[in-house]
Amino acid sequence: MFHRRHIGPGAALVAVVGFLAGTAASVAEPPALPPATKKKVDFVTDIKPLLTTHCHKCHGPSKQEGGLRLDRRDEALNGGDSGPAFVSGKSAESLLIKYVAGVDPDVLMPPEGDKFSDEQIGLLRGWIDQGVDWPKDDKTAGDQRAAHWSFQPVRASKPPVSKVAIRHPVDAFVSDALVSRGLTPSPEADRATLIRRLSLDLLGLPPRPEETAEFLGDERPDACERLLDRLLASPHFGERWGRHWLDLARYADSDGYEKDLPRPHAWRWRDWVIEAFNRDLPFDQFTVEQLAGDLLPGATLDQRIATGFHRNTLTNKEGGADKKEDRDKQLVDRTNTTGAVWLGLTVGCAQCHSHKYDPISHREYYQLYAFFNAAIEQDIPVATAAQLEQHARLKAVHDVARQPLAEAVRQYLEAKPADALAALNPKDKEKLDPELQKREAALAKFDAAGPKPPADLAMILSESAKPSPTNIHVRGDFLRPGAEVQPAGLSVLNPLKVGGASSEGERPSAAGSRPNRLDLARWIVDESNPLTRRVAVNRIWQHLFGRGLVDPPDDFGTQGARSSHPELLDWLAAELPRRGWSRKELIRLIATSATYRQSSRTRAEFNTIDPKNVWLARQNRFRLEGEIVRDLALSVSGLLDDRVGGESIRPPLPSGVADLGYAGSVKWSESKGGDRYRRGCYIFFQRTVPYPLLMTFDSSDSNVSCARRERSNTPLQSLTLLNDPAFFECARAFGTRLDREVTGDPTTRSREAFRWTTGRELDLAELETLVRLYEETRRQLQRQPNDATAIVAGAITPSGSAVDLAASIAFSRILLNLDEFFTRE
Amino acid sequence: MNSRHETDLWQRRRFLASTACGVGQLALLSLLKRDGLLAAAESSANPLAPRESHYAPKAKACIFIFLEGAPSQIDLFDEKPKLKELHGQPLPESTTKNVRFAFIQKESAVLMGSPRKFQPHGECGMELSDYLPHLSTCVDDIALIRSMHTDAFNHHPGQLLLNTGTQMFGRPSVGSWLNYGLGSPSQNLPGYVVLTAGRGTSGGASNFASGFLPTTYQGVLFRNQGEPVLHLNRPPGISDEMQRTGLDALRQLNEQRLTALADPEIDSRIASYELAYRMQSAAPELLDLSGESKETLEAYGVDRPEPKNNNFRGGGAGVHKAFALNCLLARRMVERGVRFVNIYHASWDHHSNLDPELAHNCSIADQPVAALLKDLKQRGLLDSTVVVWGSEFGRTPLAENRPGRELNTGRDHHPFAYSLWLAGGGVKGGQVIGATDELGWHIARDPVHVHDLQATLLHLFGLDHERLTYRFQGRDFRLTDVDGKVVRALLA
Repeated sequence: MFHRRHIGPGAALVAVVGFLAGTAASVAEPPALPPATKKKVDFVTDIKPLLTTHCHKCHGPSKQEGGLRLDRRDEALNGGDSGPAFVSGKSAESLLIKYVAGVDPDVLMPPEGDKFSDEQIGLLRGWIDQGVDWPKDDKTAGDQRAAHWSFQPVRASKPPVSKVAIRHPVDAFVSDALVSRGLTPSPEADRATLIRRLSLDLLGLPPRPEETAEFLGDERPDACERLLDRLLASPHFGERWGRHWLDLARYADSDGYEKDLPRPHAWRWRDWVIEAFNRDLPFDQFTVEQLAGDLLPGATLDQRIATGFHRNTLTNKEGGADKKEDRDKQLVDRTNTTGAVWLGLTVGCAQCHSHKYDPISHREYYQLYAFFNAAIEQDIPVATAAQLEQHARLKAVHDVARQPLAEAVRQYLEAKPADALAALNPKDKEKLDPELQKREAALAKFDAAGPKPPADLAMILSESAKPSPTNIHVRGDFLRPGAEVQPAGLSVLNPLKVGGASSEGERPSAAGSRPNRLDLARWIVDESNPLTRRVAVNRIWQHLFGRGLVDPPDDFGTQGARSSHPELLDWLAAELPRRGWSRKELIRLIATSATYRQSSRTRAEFNTIDPKNVWLARQNRFRLEGEIVRDLALSVSGLLDDRVGGESIRPPLPSGVADLGYAGSVKWSESKGGDRYRRGCYIFFQRTVPYPLLMTFDSSDSNVSCARRERSNTPLQSLTLLNDPAFFECARAFGTRLDREVTGDPTTRSREAFRWTTGRELDLAELETLVRLYEETRRQLQRQPNDATAIVAGAITPSGSAVDLAASIAFSRILLNLDEFFTRE
Repeated sequence: MNSRHETDLWQRRRFLASTACGVGQLALLSLLKRDGLLAAAESSANPLAPRESHYAPKAKACIFIFLEGAPSQIDLFDEKPKLKELHGQPLPESTTKNVRFAFIQKESAVLMGSPRKFQPHGECGMELSDYLPHLSTCVDDIALIRSMHTDAFNHHPGQLLLNTGTQMFGRPSVGSWLNYGLGSPSQNLPGYVVLTAGRGTSGGASNFASGFLPTTYQGVLFRNQGEPVLHLNRPPGISDEMQRTGLDALRQLNEQRLTALADPEIDSRIASYELAYRMQSAAPELLDLSGESKETLEAYGVDRPEPKNNNFRGGGAGVHKAFALNCLLARRMVERGVRFVNIYHASWDHHSNLDPELAHNCSIADQPVAALLKDLKQRGLLDSTVVVWGSEFGRTPLAENRPGRELNTGRDHHPFAYSLWLAGGGVKGGQVIGATDELGWHIARDPVHVHDLQATLLHLFGLDHERLTYRFQGRDFRLTDVDGKVVRALLA
């Protein structure tokens, strides 16, 4: 994936060509080839020692020059970047023989050390001519790496039976691990924390004070389940969980690279995601539609829009950019992203050479790549029937109205002698004939003012009628094509069935023919695929605990971490299809566990036994994402416009920020009205000039798939929350609301304002601090009434006192900076 | 500096945070000292706390001057008499056969000699173009590499490669890696600061992003006028006194929550607010040039007259001043412990009208950069500050003959051989490394790849580029990808 170096074109021309990476030579047998042995050749005694001595250094476990590996049967028989090394029965045509015999004097293998003797070459030739007999049970044939846990089938074990009564299966698994480490679980979090946690986890919005009050007063035993029902049915659920998916999908509203042109229609796919989460589209279908919705029988517009997943790839429109190179980069991105998002694998490592740690060969990488190489990009109209109908109506009216002008042009042309016109080219015609020019201009002007067809588009993928062949790229360099490959899955996983798994008259590729993206998608969601479900449920767990059972969540390969709770992970993975692949049901399942509902308070013993809370003796406490921090401030201050979906928005951008884009090409026209106050997930993502607030709070940079955001803690975050005009606007609205709605002494105000921000009651020490803050700020403002005037900025105060209102605003500003405010506990 | 190291730090941080209230810390100190983690531990949760390098460093700070768009090495750093001689002639087909160009039409392209005059300068006799009269007085401190080469031939991928070690989006830049590896000595300013003049770069913020590293390590854009850091200024009407009162209350509330929940992240949050508060006074102090002498300001050319005609790629009104200020501010930042300063100027992408526009850009950059080198030297800072001047690639010895043009007055992108220089911070000055062939097309000897440069830069800071890694998506990433050799000849 990462190794590409050219010394220069000249150097590349004379560079020594690696083993099997050269061009195919002629098939005629040169006279100099040593004769093949006539005796019966045995692989283990005759051939294997030769390969070990002469070849494995460069074509073995640590290196696979030219994409060739000669220490494992299957890979050796597959050949290298230039094709098969041996042609059974035809030793003279086999590349291996040509290279070891030095048929081309520039390529003599091995490049260093002892060459093959004539007798040894004779043995190799004999072995090839006798049919390349490489026994399968040879111990070099197996691949230890395939035994890695995540490649094994999902095992649906039963929850352990515990001595103590445990009502929830998740708790049974977790409890077992805790007990064996001498840890005890934490008590349930208090109700106020619970409703805030659930609201933030499921919707990314804080509960309103009255919702909290209602929940606190709900004494029914199933109060939590009822709350869950309400939250899962909210349209904001799709915004919250959709945004997690957008991170994985490297979603943005612009092309990236120098030109970084806007993608004004990208949001169509984003809305598809939000909507898919809201209607709980089963995860298998969710997957199939995004990877191959266009290939489904009678694909609906919605299913085609779903394929926009892979249109989030960057596009380089820089002047002079090489289109082929850019297309290669896009296909690489699609291949890598698919592997990362659904399989949790770093397939990208196999772009330049076979994967060093996971059983993914260089060839297999390009077999996956081939699925995407068969797809083309399309922008299709997405106008609704009503829009089209209206357009047709208006167009009909317009067509009638333009008749007289069109007629005028026609008549004039007819009246002219034909040869006078024919002699002129169109440009001269207009110069020489002002009358014609006038009439044509009148018609053009009228047409320009006519009705426009609905211009809304969606960016999708569709299958090319004539897919270009895919070759292995030697060392990942698209300018160095190797052997041609066909689309295929990874051999370490379940077999990819061509045209398989379809029951309802689908149009997958015909059996026996070339597999397509639909086959790929079916392979990914096949229940025998050991990775997809594990990766998917781990992500759900991650968003409910701030950390996956497998952490980091982006590597299920041999170099990744093992699952902390392997049985629990598998049990959840087995539950997913059992519950109709419903993510809402899985969330409900996990969120009803006592493990989820624990307090997040740290206890002294954790520091030594479990500082990272791997064993889950408590919940986790973590800072919220940039979008959510903004949503929170807008929400509690009453400014939030919570409309779901639609075009991306451009809230005010600090001056000078857009200038960072190339040569002033980034245009940021501020959204008007309520759009300024819509949720952060709708902020227009310009790749070269990402919205500063988002980046300051570690949002995904939208360039590569992001499975886990950082949670940094920096002074720039503090400066943003303290001073960013957007946050100060929230403080102003919050303070004004406080001043208007809560009458009474500073104590009452402090209590209410604290409730609004944290959802809980404050204790005595906190109350004292807040009251002191309020009174001290008010005193300062009384001394400096100009400051008060500046703070209220012309707002009319119900009490008539600018100082009171300003104090309320300054006080609110500090509350909106509380660590607890933008933390999920 | 791998993820295990991170985990250790983190665990100890938590341990410290929890023991700080009760148990004494003495026993811990010896433990941490032994592990070389003392500095980090002392400042608790601060990810920018100074950390030990792998071996003794020469450089403590870096000023990386990035001339975006590819300045023509042939007209500035690498004289080619033979090219002048063959001016107007085509290149042999064998040279261009497999070469991709952004804009040149191979079939009709001809060579273009440089009209510039080159003279030897200093004791070392390094030859530079007459467009760089000021820099020519600094050559004995400069190591000029005439044999740089890169893999990218479009701007943005090239810029990413030079800044982050790959052509792909989403990787940390050099400055981020240095801060991640070493922390920052500055208590009041960010460890990585970016200054720009002229129009925006092709890569925008991706050139100084922290990629998969925490954003703590990303370049913080300083503006040389007005509000130096985004949101540094208090909102209207909030006085400094009110700010302090508010922050005191905030700290108390956060501390109360810390007591209740024992989450060390709260401690870290408190520290962030305090650093933010200090930055509010430190950053304006940084921009306050009233303490600088008239001679200094003149040397940098802060108030130089601007040429009348400045409607060029290199920028219009105010760019001369902005660039000079950026150089001066870079020195002031280094004095205050900033680890890495990026100075950007765009653009040097002279596909046409090269001669007058290159003159214009040199009139912006030459004097302030030379003044910066001398100023650093005079203050004893050059020994510990490495200054780099460079770009994503160079320009072709061929004249660019984009279709539809009457005159060919520019050069296209040339990644195969170009020039870049370094000074100070343990770099051996007064020398030229590598050479190109007589046309300036290929490297004739001692090639230096971008990854070699990056390996060398880290080496100057006492960091082994193969050991400075970060685990992401299942792989240990490093600045130099899978390549890079320290260029020994560059070291003093």
